[in-house]
Amino acid sequence: MTQPQSAAERLDRAVDGVLDGLSPVAAAAAAGTGPAGRPLVLLAGELRAGLATPPVAARFEERLGARLAPALHGRAPVAWAIRHPGRLLVTGAVGSAVGVGVTAYAVWRSTRRSGAAHRLLHR
Amino acid sequence: MTRPMERTAGRGPAEDPDIGDVLAAQADRAAFATLYRRYLDRVYGYCFYLLGDHHDAEDATERTFVAALGAIDRYRDEGSTFRAWLFRIAHNQLANALRARSRHRTASLDDVPEPMATVNDPARLAGIADEARRLRAAVAALSDERRQVIVLRFVDGLSAREIGEVLERSEGAVRVLQHRALRDLATLLEPEG
Repeated sequence: MTQPQSAAERLDRAVDGVLDGLSPVAAAAAAGTGPAGRPLVLLAGELRAGLATPPVAARFEERLGARLAPALHGRAPVAWAIRHPGRLLVTGAVGSAVGVGVTAYAVWRSTRRSGAAHRLLHR
Repeated sequence: MTRPMERTAGRGPAEDPDIGDVLAAQADRAAFATLYRRYLDRVYGYCFYLLGDHHDAEDATERTFVAALGAIDRYRDEGSTFRAWLFRIAHNQLANALRARSRHRTASLDDVPEPMATVNDPARLAGIADEARRLRAAVAALSDERRQVIVLRFVDGLSAREIGEVLERSEGAVRVLQHRALRDLATLLEPEG
């Protein structure tokens, strides 16, 4: 394995280690960042621990799910139905199942959120 | 809270963890639902950290997934991972949203929840919350490009190579941006006085 050449490359390797679960001190040592780079690796550890993904609002998920559901069914419905009338029922059933699945997922997601996160969304 | 997902740092496109689901979605669009579920939080997070507003982030997220679903048939595994391709679409939507704004962002990122803590000590929890708020305020003060790198790296878990594909920069340029962003953050977070 070749040793990274620049400080930015060594720092990036250390950040890889931090994101993979190494302690910042161990990641800095493994990447050879040296004393100058070590505070930045410690900061990377703080960022990994401190930056959260914001929760998605349940009503937005429902709206987006409803918008995507017809596209998930695919195909131009009328022309395709004329050419394949026998498959129309099957497509309708599958399409409905997908729509129900997306909606059910949105509902399930909304119920598993913590109360605190949920309150933040009622703006 | 969702932690950064598994990364593909330094790995080839053949190891794109999503490629099986992408091929399934190309064969049957219903399978796109799997990718949608996997990436909804992360794309939304990227949009929110960059726009600082829930409604704007929802609009950009919606446009991203509608565009991705419309283009999924054209996605080809040519050296880029699916998630780099998806975040590239999000990046373009963000660029449009930022251009459309006549005002500066109003982002305080105050609505982002505190990281989930496993301690029960109220004083310790308050300290964690304060520290997270401090970090978010510093991230919000970065330039757009440096903030993008920090968010894609630490919130979304993308590798430097993937971020380069999203931002249309070289992997080396992303590493330099990351280095400068972390230095900026260190300065911003220095205790006053």
